[in-house]
Amino acid sequence: MSQPQTPTPNAQPPKEDLRVGVFVCHCGLNIAGTVDIKQVTEYAKTIPDVVFVKENRYTCADPGQEEIRKAIKEQKLNRVVIAACSPRMHEPTFRRTVSEAGLNPFLYEMANIREFASWCHPNTPQEATERAKDAVRMAVAKARLMMPLQTIEVPVTNKALVIGGGIAGMNAALDLAEMGFKVYLLENTQSIGGHMAALDKTFPTLDCSICIEGPKMVDCGRHPNIQIFAYSDLVKVDGYIGNFKVKIRKNPRYVIPERCTGCGECRDVCPIEYPNDWDMNLGTRKAISVPFDQAVPLIYAIDKNYCIECFKCTDVCGARQAIDFEQKAEEVDIEVGAIIVSTGFDVYLPYDMPLLGYGKYPNVITSMEFERLILAAGPTGGKVIRQSDGKKPHSVAFIQCVGSRDKNKYPYCSNYCCMYTLKHVVQLKEKYKEDVEVYVFYMDMRTPGKGYEEFYDRARERGANFIRGRVSRIDEDPKTHNLILHSEDANLGQPIEVEAEMVVLATASIPKKGSDEIARILNLSRGADGFFMESHPKLEPMDAPTDGVFYAGACQGLKDIPFSVSQGSGAASRAATVISKPKWKIEPIISIVDETKCRNKTAKCGVCQDKCPYGAIRIEPNKAAQIITASCHGCGTCVAECPQHAITQMHFTDAQIMAQIRSALEDKPEEKILAILCNWCSYAGADLAGTSRFEYPPSVRAIRVMCSGRVDREFILEALRLGAGMVLIGACHLPYDCHYINGNYKMKARTDALKGMLTKLGMSPERFRVEYVSAAEGIHYAEVIKEIDADMKALGKEKIQAETAKLKPVLDNMLKRWKK
Amino acid sequence: MTENATTTTSKEPIKASEFDPKFKYELIKMHGGEKLLKCYQCGTCTSDCPIARYSDDYRPRTILRMANLGLKDRVLKSNTLWLCAACYTCTDRCPQDVEVASVIRVLRNLAAENGCVPQVFKDQASCILESGYAYKIPDLRIKKRETTGLPPLPKGNPESIRKILKGVSFMKHVEGSKGETNEQQ
Repeated sequence: MSQPQTPTPNAQPPKEDLRVGVFVCHCGLNIAGTVDIKQVTEYAKTIPDVVFVKENRYTCADPGQEEIRKAIKEQKLNRVVIAACSPRMHEPTFRRTVSEAGLNPFLYEMANIREFASWCHPNTPQEATERAKDAVRMAVAKARLMMPLQTIEVPVTNKALVIGGGIAGMNAALDLAEMGFKVYLLENTQSIGGHMAALDKTFPTLDCSICIEGPKMVDCGRHPNIQIFAYSDLVKVDGYIGNFKVKIRKNPRYVIPERCTGCGECRDVCPIEYPNDWDMNLGTRKAISVPFDQAVPLIYAIDKNYCIECFKCTDVCGARQAIDFEQKAEEVDIEVGAIIVSTGFDVYLPYDMPLLGYGKYPNVITSMEFERLILAAGPTGGKVIRQSDGKKPHSVAFIQCVGSRDKNKYPYCSNYCCMYTLKHVVQLKEKYKEDVEVYVFYMDMRTPGKGYEEFYDRARERGANFIRGRVSRIDEDPKTHNLILHSEDANLGQPIEVEAEMVVLATASIPKKGSDEIARILNLSRGADGFFMESHPKLEPMDAPTDGVFYAGACQGLKDIPFSVSQGSGAASRAATVISKPKWKIEPIISIVDETKCRNKTAKCGVCQDKCPYGAIRIEPNKAAQIITASCHGCGTCVAECPQHAITQMHFTDAQIMAQIRSALEDKPEEKILAILCNWCSYAGADLAGTSRFEYPPSVRAIRVMCSGRVDREFILEALRLGAGMVLIGACHLPYDCHYINGNYKMKARTDALKGMLTKLGMSPERFRVEYVSAAEGIHYAEVIKEIDADMKALGKEKIQAETAKLKPVLDNMLKRWKK
Repeated sequence: MTENATTTTSKEPIKASEFDPKFKYELIKMHGGEKLLKCYQCGTCTSDCPIARYSDDYRPRTILRMANLGLKDRVLKSNTLWLCAACYTCTDRCPQDVEVASVIRVLRNLAAENGCVPQVFKDQASCILESGYAYKIPDLRIKKRETTGLPPLPKGNPESIRKILKGVSFMKHVEGSKGETNEQQ
């Protein structure tokens, strides 16, 4: 597949002479009230390559921006450094400003002298001024090495694929189709509808499930923008956001879809019946049949495992000639711009919990089986009967959390079991009144949805017995096949034995079988619970880590019908943000591979592929690693991990960061704390320390990277080689805060090993520190700097200098590639 | 009150045969017991109960639990049932509007009908019926009143009291109290 246009790794800064312009902002008195602007501007004039220095009262205001544009034109500036507030505040503003003047927006850099100087060191103005000067020098050092970058654009196929035709997937497909996009709806069973189509009633309103879902299924089947691939599997997905190439395999039904009218005459003559798994195997279906009457698409299928090839169906189908025993699986290729994964869940069958007797005692069933029993269209015509004698039970016990909340099975809560058990209780009690006694064994009753607690009230008012306790064991009376349940009544603080004529197990819902395969094909990650991991648990709950892939429904985490429907619509809207555009823009701050250096050309390497959180790197034998530009999020983890230094992150190159480090430590390094902070959490936390006016020692010099995963060993080594008093790496909190999924873990693994080595070589362990600071922890950042500063003072200059002298030969050797 | 007199500290599991699942339906038909089924065992009643604070055994929550589960015998024979001071704090506090104190009253009435009234209350009842006084004043004390010069106590009117109590079927409850409670005093 062709790659979108990427910058070339060997691109060098233009050969022209450097002409750097420095603009120092007063920000009213916000900066000028503490930092001596005169000193900073005078100092800036002395920095090599700086040809123009200007101070502004408010650089971000229109006149300030105009001065920058004017200076770029008149002074022929080819680099711009703006010393003002945090880049998290105004970087986008000034990128626009410089590009309006015809300068590439990636040829400008900010020096943060407000949040990082005037606001956090109000009582030490001279030190704040020194810090501001250093910040300007560091920014110029980086600016010298900056390269013009172009925003990358890839064309977008304005179609979508929805994988899984349950209630979430159907809603996603319908919403996208209504927006006017072509949607392919892939379903691996013979009909769309998912679990919901098999349910009787829905809580808390008790409306009939198929009555409300059926019309949506029909809508999906009829919508001109939706093409359903039922009884089909996902084979392969290639490409990237906006440009996915998907291979689908249509499994043979032995019935020609275009010719089948769904009349069912073939089913009537078919002599073979087999257990219908759609009925939880409580009912049967014919060897040629549909799983249920409302199936969409209504196309019959022959199960060759059961068919005896009597050809009665062929005879009765007659002139329609819909039956084709020679049909083969067929592969179809489609192209889409976005993919919605809505593969749903499976239900756990507790055969491996012998103490509960499922599979051994005929009257112990699962909730899903109960659902099929109480459903009027089910195999018993809606009669709740016991398997042992076909009689109606007069007492039914429900057991909650079977397999759920169990460290040895599924540790999570399955979300909706409390509610469906309450539904079963209400159905039973309202149908049979005092003729049936109901017991519910529960640990916690969880009813957090709209109208759910009221539904719990209703169940209690109908006279169900709620017994707080987990059933440890069920015995069966061999004569009556009644069941004796052993539990505790925690409210009475006593063991209790209950006899019931039927037991219903509310079993865990579990990740869909085949999730690993889907994860492999689409490069998705799965959480410890086996469900798909979203990009951000709060703010991107529908986004997969792979760009252009979104989640809907239970595949991302168990949820009930209203939430699945909402998420289906949400995922459709997320997908539309991609496929509604003719082109997709990608920030050029991405990684690129120098093919001449990549080790994978000669040996088996692939470190970068393993470490990339987004699966954006493709490794093929004897070829240089290939970065899928459109999938790269620009964390820079691969850059730091590459053993050959063959990968470069644009705008955050090794050379640029090394230049910043050297610049920061030019003067009195043993009195400085060199901090490398990740953009999203620790840099933001440091900003907040400034905004909140938390004062901390002015000895820190901070460098911004996008992710702590970008922090190369060499950065730390170079800082120590130059004699930095202290080194701090700031990252997002473990385990889930990282903006790039797990860059903080990669950094941790790397730095843990490095710290051990450096300590062995004679470095005092406190000189290198990793801290996790969230964007809300300004106070924590200030405290950390105070601690480090105190540690530095306690060690003393002499000790630090002595250690530096001892470490230097080793570090020189480790960093010899930089000696030029 | 001795420990083995209580229902909640018995070591034996509660057996299925002990339940009377219909019991709760009886209770909710009685005045004061209507909302019993709403109890979700939060324990707010017990938390603010002034008796529960001084008793090791008296727990309004537990009484409602036993009633709801249908442990009819246990709850009716329980002498903790009789510790309620009828202050109605529990009723006041209940987040489900269960009239806890009223449920306990309903249970006491049922207990009385089944002859499960502690001896102390039976004595009190017969005292009222006989003399109009809740307590029998010992002769010694009457004599002492005379010697200290106090006037004689006013005479009770047991006939009128009996008439009134008959009207509220008090007699039935007390006279039915031939059975034993499991109280061991």
